Amino acid sequence: MPEMLITIYEVFVNTYEGFLNAMLLTLEITAIAILIGTVLGIIFALMKISRSKVLQTIANLYITLIRGTPLIVQIMFLYFGITSIIILSNFWAGVIALGIHNGAYIAEIFRGAIQGIDRGQQEASLAVGMNRRQAMRRIVFPQALRRAIPPLGNQFIITLKDSSLVYVIGVSELFGLANREAASSFKQFETFLVVGFYYLILVMIFTSLLKWYENKLNVEKS
Amino acid sequence: MLTGQDIHKSFGKLEVLKGIDINVKAGEVVVLIGVSGSGKSTLLRCLNFLEMLDEGEITIDGKKVNHKTDDLSKVRAEVGMVFQHFNLFPHKTVLENVIEAPIIVKKVNKKKAVKEALVILEKVGLSDKADVYPNKLSGGQKQRVAIARALAMEPKALLFDEPTSALDPELVGEVLQVMQDLANDGMTMVVVTHEMKFAKEVADRIIMLDEGRIIEDADPETFFNHTTNERAKQFLEMVNV
Repeated sequence: MPEMLITIYEVFVNTYEGFLNAMLLTLEITAIAILIGTVLGIIFALMKISRSKVLQTIANLYITLIRGTPLIVQIMFLYFGITSIIILSNFWAGVIALGIHNGAYIAEIFRGAIQGIDRGQQEASLAVGMNRRQAMRRIVFPQALRRAIPPLGNQFIITLKDSSLVYVIGVSELFGLANREAASSFKQFETFLVVGFYYLILVMIFTSLLKWYENKLNVEKS
Repeated sequence: MLTGQDIHKSFGKLEVLKGIDINVKAGEVVVLIGVSGSGKSTLLRCLNFLEMLDEGEITIDGKKVNHKTDDLSKVRAEVGMVFQHFNLFPHKTVLENVIEAPIIVKKVNKKKAVKEALVILEKVGLSDKADVYPNKLSGGQKQRVAIARALAMEPKALLFDEPTSALDPELVGEVLQVMQDLANDGMTMVVVTHEMKFAKEVADRIIMLDEGRIIEDADPETFFNHTTNERAKQFLEMVNV
């Protein structure tokens, strides 16, 4: 047992510089993917609740396709499939795939949150002379956003962990690096234990940031 | 001021309004009464186009409104509405609730909007609550803020959809008082309510709806004491006046 702890410690010490860089890459991938996903999510959520059948259909198609296929397939498709048309680096292929993937889930989160806001809010907005767009932007959406924060936070944590899948197209983020380290050092157990620890730390930081933000919103409101 | 001609409205197969003619003069207070399901709330909602009428015509201040081609936001900005469940904006303070529409819709500058809002809040007795969020208010206070919010748009007429029905009994009075003050100030009002005392004392005219039709249209004195309509008599017996 002590020997194992020593090996884990050795792996940790020998790899932490590389892993810190990889962790930054993981954070970068996650942050951009969340950004893309949130923008797409809001757009598709609004399309889905719009009164236009065409927009609704497009949004439904997107959500069905993305939710109906594995992320890893989408990553591969974007990297190997699309590169016959445009050249994407493996980093950007991974980030965009992750962003598009998240957009579908985030769209559903926003749709649910918007539809969960009492209809009276929109009516009251219209009754004071706002148009639908103003009512959405000023009254309904800000309330929906508050309501969406817990499920969004959940989705962001999933994104952080799902970012590990871009290793399949050769991005050296946390998991990609761990995979290589494990293969070259033959210390699979220790390496994956260490990388699991890094993910855990990141998720815990993420969770406490979200908690803090939620509390901040609640305090403001009361 | 506010007229509706031959208003028809159906929800699916259910015809809720079966040809309503209503004419509200400037400064007049009209109280709409009737059993639930008689169509009074729907009529009110048609008057500011929260529901689109199927047939008929609404004229506001001499202008015919075509709900297919006109900008309904402009129409609604001129006819305020107070809801049964207040529908205040919970993420905004009392003051923000009141200045929201003047700033966003009328493009009034914020300083001026705040100044005017404080005057209106004073009028409804809530100037000390300006910076409070709605969830800290009682039902009666919420409804008074809702009235202030509607007033901030300087509407030509105000519609009230059962403004006191969601209130605890002891809070009804303060809201009715504000409404009575408005009536005294000459505000044109259409009020759906079950408050018969208010109808008796404040209304210029009582309109009773039954199954989507107007069955009585009279001044309060006539309505409460001399109606010859059987359904109206039954209704008055039911509400015990």
